[in-house]
Amino acid sequence: MSVRAVTALPVRLEQGPCPKPTGRQSSRLRPDLQTAMLFLLPSTLGLLVFLIVPLLASFALSFTNWQVIGDLSFVGVANYIRLITADPVFWQVMRVTFLYSFEYLVLNITLSLTMAVWISSLSWGKQVFRLVFFLPTFTPVVGIAIVWLLMLTPGGVVDWTVATLHLPLPNLITTPNYALQALVVVALWSHFGYNMLLFGAALEAVPESYLEAAKIDGASAWQRFWKIKLPLISPSLFFGSVLTAITSLQAFDQVYALTHGGPGSATTTLGYAIYSQGFVSYHLGYASAIAWVLFAIIMMLTGLQLRLQRRWVHYDS
Amino acid sequence: MSIMRALRAGAAATLLTLASQGAHAESVKLTWYMWASSDVEVAAWKHVAGMVTAKYPDITVELQTSAFLEYWTKMPALAAGGKLPDIVSLQSLRFPGVAPLMEPLDGRIADSKLHITSFDPSILKALSRQGKQLALPYDFGPLVLYYNQDAFQKAGVMLPKPGWTEAEFNFAAKTFSKEGMFGIVPSVPDAFMVFARSRGARYLDDKGQLDLVNPGIKAAFAAYVELVTVDKVSPLLPASGTLSSTIANGRFTSGGVAMYVDGPWQLINLKKKATFTVGIAPVPTRSGGSVSVTAGSGFGIAGTSKHKDEAFKAITIMTGPEAEQYLAENGRAFPARSAFQTFWFQTAAQGMTDAPAAMAAALKTAEPYVTTPNWATVGALFEQYAPLAFSGSETPEKVLETIQKLASQ
Repeated sequence: MSVRAVTALPVRLEQGPCPKPTGRQSSRLRPDLQTAMLFLLPSTLGLLVFLIVPLLASFALSFTNWQVIGDLSFVGVANYIRLITADPVFWQVMRVTFLYSFEYLVLNITLSLTMAVWISSLSWGKQVFRLVFFLPTFTPVVGIAIVWLLMLTPGGVVDWTVATLHLPLPNLITTPNYALQALVVVALWSHFGYNMLLFGAALEAVPESYLEAAKIDGASAWQRFWKIKLPLISPSLFFGSVLTAITSLQAFDQVYALTHGGPGSATTTLGYAIYSQGFVSYHLGYASAIAWVLFAIIMMLTGLQLRLQRRWVHYDS
Repeated sequence: MSIMRALRAGAAATLLTLASQGAHAESVKLTWYMWASSDVEVAAWKHVAGMVTAKYPDITVELQTSAFLEYWTKMPALAAGGKLPDIVSLQSLRFPGVAPLMEPLDGRIADSKLHITSFDPSILKALSRQGKQLALPYDFGPLVLYYNQDAFQKAGVMLPKPGWTEAEFNFAAKTFSKEGMFGIVPSVPDAFMVFARSRGARYLDDKGQLDLVNPGIKAAFAAYVELVTVDKVSPLLPASGTLSSTIANGRFTSGGVAMYVDGPWQLINLKKKATFTVGIAPVPTRSGGSVSVTAGSGFGIAGTSKHKDEAFKAITIMTGPEAEQYLAENGRAFPARSAFQTFWFQTAAQGMTDAPAAMAAALKTAEPYVTTPNWATVGALFEQYAPLAFSGSETPEKVLETIQKLASQ
């Protein structure tokens, strides 16, 4: 069976684009299908058990008043209506989430691209710098957040530095207007290494002959970057942007460890609001509704990014 | 002959195997979930689990621990998934919210002839609901004021003692603030509730509902905030993933703060971490007296447990005389069995100036820490919103109004 399965594909390709299966051919295709299904089964099962079913379950829960303990009853769209019309902090949470995501996305892509370009221009030490800047990426976020908390806490090393330099800055994590900036800084420090590595690899793959030809034609360094390198690494830029946007909208762990959503609701993101409602107040139904709002936002923004990519992403090398 | 010997040996081996399988089939492994914030606490609880097996060799208790905050996140999640452990640890403040998950113990208590009267009645009541006993307590106690005795003596400040006044407290706090350390840590909500009750303020209305908008509690919170903003005797704590009471404990044991409010169950950690002599006293007498609140904890049986009888046997040992003596001597618990509190004084509090008098005075005026079913939410909101008042970003009054509004959702 395995031999027939392996040989079937070339035979089919040789027959042209629209072969009409004869009885003999369809009997030869059936084992292919069986083999393919067998190979697909583990991932399909995983997708079903760990993604589709929980997703549907949380959607169903969002129409209930389940509070972990006690009975569960169907409340229709009441959770969604309450979220939009009655929740005193929901719109503030939305504002915080979008502000954080936008700031983080722009700064992350800018910083990681700048660093990737700088490192790729080095004649020595490329691997060392890449490793150094990538290290925080695989350090647990909670550990990073605790270290930053110690530095940012009132009277900590950051306050001491600010006071020594006579900078007009208040304590970052106790001042509502600055707490979100502290989160962005910590997240940038810990995560920009991933995109930097991604963009660095894409820059290394740009054919040297293109750059040399442009140089001979008199193109400046900036023109070579803007007209050749950037278009050629645009698929990687797009991939990095989409992933970064999704993870920033889901921000939770650094919020949990560093600010717990505070002071007040200054750093409460949608991800933290889901945790807070679900696992502090035990309003699982309501938390599920927030989770679905977040899911819808991520889907819409990702869809928008996919549409817009046609204008600036170049897949031909 | 050799064949017969071999047969006999085989038969004996078979019998031995069957016997051991029989014994194995009867043994029960119970799961127990508990909070612990340090290795020394985990070791103490493992010792208590071992006491169960020592008494009942067919029962083993498998201990799982989490930090306090994570415990109250994970435990309901386990309940939601039908995975609650056999033995569930319960704290009186958060007990009302999870009471429906627990198996009533009254029938088993009556059958076992357990002398329930040897437990302090207030903590027994705190772990019961609608007349049903849902957990057996292992500890209880009033929140007290721990102080750095060495720092007090070095600064020449009179040691806190029963009946010490608000003016004496303020003098001490200000003295330490001039010496490069802080007077006290303003943790929330528990230490604040003690502060408020000592000023005669109420945080619940007549119906037992949360009331953070009455003039008394607002004035009390404003005064509490002034410890940071005006008197500068307390450090400004940020909202973070670490409870303010845990930060307070850390600041105190590291010598950065001279005083802090916590329960007698913290003595095990203070003795391990502090490099100075720790003193204990009732909270200062304010306009409403020196009023503390009592809280405590115990062990219940999950309603979903398949080994309820064995779990009951286990919790009677875990809250029994030997365990109480062990926990008291190690400073992990001020025993719920009143007769065993002497071990806490004799061993755990040994060397602490006037500890018996301090505890007796605190207990005399303490009142049960009555809470609402959503107290975990109230606590989390205090942790998140109180820093706005401490940093001066919002008025204390506005912060309490916000907490009230969000907690009532």
